[in-house]
Amino acid sequence: MKKEINVANQPWLGFSRIIQITVDGIRYRLFRASVTVAVIAVAVAFLMNILSESLIKRSVARDTRDRIHEMRLILDWSSRLTTPGNPESVLREVARSTPGGPIYQEVAGMAGLDEATMTAFHQKCSQGNSYLDFFANLDYAKRRNLIHTATGIGIFRRLQTPNGMEQFTKSLADIHSIRFTTSLDDLNTFLTDWGKLQVQLQAVVAARAKAVAQIRQQLAGKPITDALADATGSFGDTVRQAGFVFDGETVAPLVASQAQAELDVKRLQESMDSNACKQLIAQRANVLPADVNVIMMWKYLGNAKFATRYLERMKQENEKAIAYEQKMKNAPPKAEGETKATIDDTEQGTRLNVAGLVPERLVELAEARDMQASLLRAERLTVGAGLGFMGLGERLAWLLFVSLLVCGIGIANAMLMTVTERFTEIATLKCLGALDGFIMLMFVLESSFLGVVGGVIGAILGALIGLSRMLAAFGLNFAGAIPATDIVVAVFASVAMGMLLAGIAAVLPSFKAARLAPMEAMRIE
Amino acid sequence: MAENTAPQTTDGEGRVIIRTVGLKKSYIMKDVVTEALRGVNMEIFTGEFISVMGPSGSGKSTFFNMIGALDSPTTGRVFIDEVDVAQLTAEELAYLRCHKIGYIFQSYNLIKYMTALENVTTPMAFGGVQPDQARERGMDLLDLVGLKERWHHRPIEMSGGQQQRVAIARSLANNPSVLLCDEPTANLDLHTGQDILNILRKLNKEKGVTIICATHDHRMMDICDRLMWIRDGQIDRIARRDEVHVEVGGIGGMDE
Ligand SMILES: Nc1ncnc2c1ncn2[C@@H]1O[C@H](COP(=O)(O)OP(=O)(O)OP(=O)(O)O)[C@@H](O)[C@H]1O
Ligand SMILES: [Mg+2]
Repeated sequence: MKKEINVANQPWLGFSRIIQITVDGIRYRLFRASVTVAVIAVAVAFLMNILSESLIKRSVARDTRDRIHEMRLILDWSSRLTTPGNPESVLREVARSTPGGPIYQEVAGMAGLDEATMTAFHQKCSQGNSYLDFFANLDYAKRRNLIHTATGIGIFRRLQTPNGMEQFTKSLADIHSIRFTTSLDDLNTFLTDWGKLQVQLQAVVAARAKAVAQIRQQLAGKPITDALADATGSFGDTVRQAGFVFDGETVAPLVASQAQAELDVKRLQESMDSNACKQLIAQRANVLPADVNVIMMWKYLGNAKFATRYLERMKQENEKAIAYEQKMKNAPPKAEGETKATIDDTEQGTRLNVAGLVPERLVELAEARDMQASLLRAERLTVGAGLGFMGLGERLAWLLFVSLLVCGIGIANAMLMTVTERFTEIATLKCLGALDGFIMLMFVLESSFLGVVGGVIGAILGALIGLSRMLAAFGLNFAGAIPATDIVVAVFASVAMGMLLAGIAAVLPSFKAARLAPMEAMRIE
Repeated sequence: MAENTAPQTTDGEGRVIIRTVGLKKSYIMKDVVTEALRGVNMEIFTGEFISVMGPSGSGKSTFFNMIGALDSPTTGRVFIDEVDVAQLTAEELAYLRCHKIGYIFQSYNLIKYMTALENVTTPMAFGGVQPDQARERGMDLLDLVGLKERWHHRPIEMSGGQQQRVAIARSLANNPSVLLCDEPTANLDLHTGQDILNILRKLNKEKGVTIICATHDHRMMDICDRLMWIRDGQIDRIARRDEVHVEVGGIGGMDE
């Protein structure tokens, strides 16, 4: 039978025509589209804000840890050179040292251990340390069940007794929620050797005590900080001779400069004893001289002009004090009552040690103090960063997840609205011969386009907000710690995220509508 | 019933182009079931001009959607050119709707963000016609319905009658073999309505387009070959025009 209607397959529409129809549609619904874009932008901005802040916090946390470690070098060395420590602290120190590292070599050298003994010693210490960590991380009840009230290396002593060991093994078997770090056999061998290890530890402590005594002798009552200021010079040699591994190239200059800074800071802070100095700051800060404190002083010294003025005042005070002392020495002694009447406060001055101080040094110290303060603040603000997902910290990772959810739901909702509004249009296009694929492509293109526009706006906005917020929190000192590449990657990721979510959110409803017969689609509310 | 209005009425050719068998359609809304069509058996022949009449809500539009392959029947079957519509793939259905059937909807269903010309050329674009050619043909069609000057207007900027004429122009975009018109003259004044009727008649006579037309317009009775009355989703009566004119007094009550 001859057919008048020859059914064939509908051809695909040209891609440019699809884009043209899509763009026409967007232009016609410009207001609606811009609302959708705004919703997407807000969602992506939220995501991007959290992401950029997390990234900055992570990087700042890393930076801070390193810098704080460096900042505390002087404290480290002050205590190392003055106290020998105890077996437990030595055990922990050795366990944390890397083979071949300074501490490792120092211990080996001082105690006179050969390489094989040292390796075994280091290994034993690490094992012991892991046991101590295990017990330290337990909560109180479990700990008491296992080892009663023993702490530190007292734990090993307790476990060596038959009673203590029996209680430990029984409780360990009862409490299913904890897993011991090693097998019980390993623990037993460790405990058998514990006496020997303890002797070794004691030997290290003794060797250290000897070295410390040597240092003390050299100091002859001088504070350790004063001596360390000369760490690059002869005192450095003394330290090395005593058996400490004290690198003259890398560590000594840092320690020396930190010691010097500490001394200078002390000298400057002594100027707070002088009313004349306080007055200078009081004028500037518009407070009473009595209310001036160290914090104000450091703020004042941050400015080069003021620092010059301040140093000048300090010198005047010092000279005045010297002159006054001279005068008092020469003047004939007076009766009690008389002295009080003639002493003029402004004449007396205050002895201040200004030797070698220049205004630039004052500014430098003020800035260093500022930096230290911001480091400590940054450390507080980034607690927990470095753990959890991507090293973002558990809280931030969770926040990121939530913001992702909010972003997804926001975009999905906006897209669902725009598609469902247009079921009639979908139905009409189908009546005119549009393929299902065309309709879906049209919607996916449109929403991806809106997603990209909203995503770009949102990502830039979010990154800017995050950046400025973090800069405000950490201060400009950390501008260098901002992970630029990470943030750029994050911007692209959020744009892609916005586009993808928008695309997916459009696929589902348009797929649903496109598959239906045209009039069925028309009937969907 | 369909058998008694024999093929001889239709230019002697008499091939069935659309056939429905036991066509039923019910709309289910929550608990309420509306039976819009209750078993329609009908044959439409090539080159025929058939008017479908019936009171409002009788199921005319539903019937159109079924035979135009725009909706799926609850039960029963629709054959277009002896091919069961239910057997066609999505691509074939799209081809059918694009090239072979022209639709004029009761509610126009123009695309809101397209100009009159774009509305007319969209089916051509779907059909693979080149843009330049489509433009030219679109302007000709708009000229045909008297809207040449308004080609750049959006539906919102046009009156109901003008929109209806754009819908008519669009239905003719790909030279369809079958034209389904749901009240094509409802919103037009006498004069313009007459113009449209003339166009339809010309298409039918000169190009042999099969025209199925739902209407309340009495003038349609003068140009159609057959009339079909629907009442409550069932065929009430089918008659040739000459038969109707004989008993013209009798149908006054039937229509409307
Ligand atoms: N989407 C729908 N949902 C539920 N019922 C519907 C729907 N569309 C139509 N109906 C019902 O189906 C019946 C037939 O409707 P249809 O639109 O076919 O009538 P019609 O003959 O075209 O009327 P008119 O002359 O007013 O256009 C009516 O009773 C109507 O209420
Ligand atoms: Mg109707």
